[in-house]
Amino acid sequence: MSNFKEFTKGLVKENPVFVMALGLCPTLGVTSSVANGIGMGLAATFVLVMANIIISLIKDLIPTKVRIPAYIVVIASFVTIVDMVMHAYLPALYKSLGLFIPLIVVNCIILGRAEAFAGKNKVIPSIFDGLGMGLGFTLALVVIASVREFLGNGTLLGIQIMPSSYQPMLIAILAPGAFLVMGFLMAILNMLKKK
Amino acid sequence: MELAIRIFSMAIAAIFVQNFVLARFLGLCPYIGVSKKLDSALGMGMAVIFVMTLASTFTWLIQHFLLIPLQMEFLQTIAFILTIASLVQFVEMVIQKTAPALYKALGVFLPLITTNCAVLGVAILNVQEEYTFFGAILNGLFAGIGFTLVLVLMAGIRERMDKAEVPEAMKGMPIAMIIAGGMALAFLGFAGLQF
Amino acid sequence: MKYYLKLGFVLFMIAAIASGILAYINGVTLPKIQESEKQAQNSARKNVLPNASFFEKDSLEVKLEKDNNPLKIQQEADTAWFEFYRGYDDSKNLVGYTFQAAKYGYSSEVRTMVGLDKDMKINKIEIVSQAETPGLGAKCVEPSFAKKYVGLSKEQLLVDKDGGTIKSITGATISTRAITESIKSAVETLSANIAPSAQGGNDE
Repeated sequence: MSNFKEFTKGLVKENPVFVMALGLCPTLGVTSSVANGIGMGLAATFVLVMANIIISLIKDLIPTKVRIPAYIVVIASFVTIVDMVMHAYLPALYKSLGLFIPLIVVNCIILGRAEAFAGKNKVIPSIFDGLGMGLGFTLALVVIASVREFLGNGTLLGIQIMPSSYQPMLIAILAPGAFLVMGFLMAILNMLKKK
Repeated sequence: MELAIRIFSMAIAAIFVQNFVLARFLGLCPYIGVSKKLDSALGMGMAVIFVMTLASTFTWLIQHFLLIPLQMEFLQTIAFILTIASLVQFVEMVIQKTAPALYKALGVFLPLITTNCAVLGVAILNVQEEYTFFGAILNGLFAGIGFTLVLVLMAGIRERMDKAEVPEAMKGMPIAMIIAGGMALAFLGFAGLQF
Repeated sequence: MKYYLKLGFVLFMIAAIASGILAYINGVTLPKIQESEKQAQNSARKNVLPNASFFEKDSLEVKLEKDNNPLKIQQEADTAWFEFYRGYDDSKNLVGYTFQAAKYGYSSEVRTMVGLDKDMKINKIEIVSQAETPGLGAKCVEPSFAKKYVGLSKEQLLVDKDGGTIKSITGATISTRAITESIKSAVETLSANIAPSAQGGNDE
């Protein structure tokens, strides 16, 4: 597959969230605001791409039996780097995302791609795969967060969109709203796919 | 007496008020993935309770006797996830050798527990909440019970759903999400409950 | 046997290299974190007491409130230090006081920088850190929230549900109450130990 195809597949056709149902925890946990969604998406993309690069580079040095722990150490290292850098340079986002930053390490998307792709392919395709999947993840987060922030707060990225007389649907920002929005979005996607 | 009340209070918080799945969004992948049948849900739940309790134990020890004395708290993510991965591997081996029947029932779920964000999540929360060793173990236990509770409830509902008339686009993931939303809404009623 | 040694060695090398790199980055980011923390404090301080040109730090020893939860690690000490700053203008006149109030709200600890004038009435507040629910408790960072506290004395620091004048954020009573209570107890601590128009440091 051409590198470009490796990239685009992660965006729609094999979108990790909507199609493969991976990475659900952060998807529902950080999408109460678009800003959080973008932050998490980009952080996860960074970890995914960097981990893919390293794993693809050292894949021949790792005996098969210990490959999962080895992948985990690589991924965890980059997650820790993201954690430390965010804490230092983006403290507000760091506090908003909270527990979900270290939890990037168990994001099934990252370990899944390492196992399914980076562990078996060369570096350049792995980069494209990582970028595509990561941005597909980010896209999914932004879509869900947009719906939730818009309905639940009348804003997008903190900018007031609805008139101030709009009574927000608070439920959209709270926990149940995450599940409901997700369910309806997935149903809509299913309908679109049938067509 | 004071201790009993505190323990009860912690149990209520971990199982109902701040349920790991419905309020904290942790453990969603297995929640959606394994809740189709009641017996597999129960099996997975039991395994998770076991792993979460053990994981809380070992990660607490590592944090307090290794990371803090050596001032290497920044290695928490790596240390914790490696501990959990090893623990799961070990538990799998033990069950395989000592209870082959149990292994046949649970076997395929066990490796999945490594990426269950609820396990890593509770380990990190134990440190953040500054629980004592005893408190951490209890928190892990109760968190696991809360997870199993909603998993089993969900499985019960989904088994019924199979017999209901679900719109085509909603079948599978979407309706599961809507159900989860309903459950989250119900559990939201516990908010503010304190002893 | 040699096979397992090789497995262990590879894993160990990866872990060692990773730890080394992380230790290095930790060394770089840790001071930056502390530095930006300090800067945020300084700017918040100037914001809540704009008439002050310089600040002097002081502290009071206060009894540490313990929740005595046997399941949580308890602090050994019985007292803690309540830090605050006195603000002075160019002519070295006391303008007021600043301190940071903190209390756990709904989902996070909310830290508020509070500026008091000489008579212990609130000049201005600024939320320094919080991770409350977006759209609900997180609304405490909006200017309209801080406005509710301007000019209040410690007796008036009550949420409407508790008989006061401060109207809670819709759907975020817990957050509002936590913030209000943290400010109230801090102002009470300060006014109990400092004579309102005292100039300079402690007399002791």
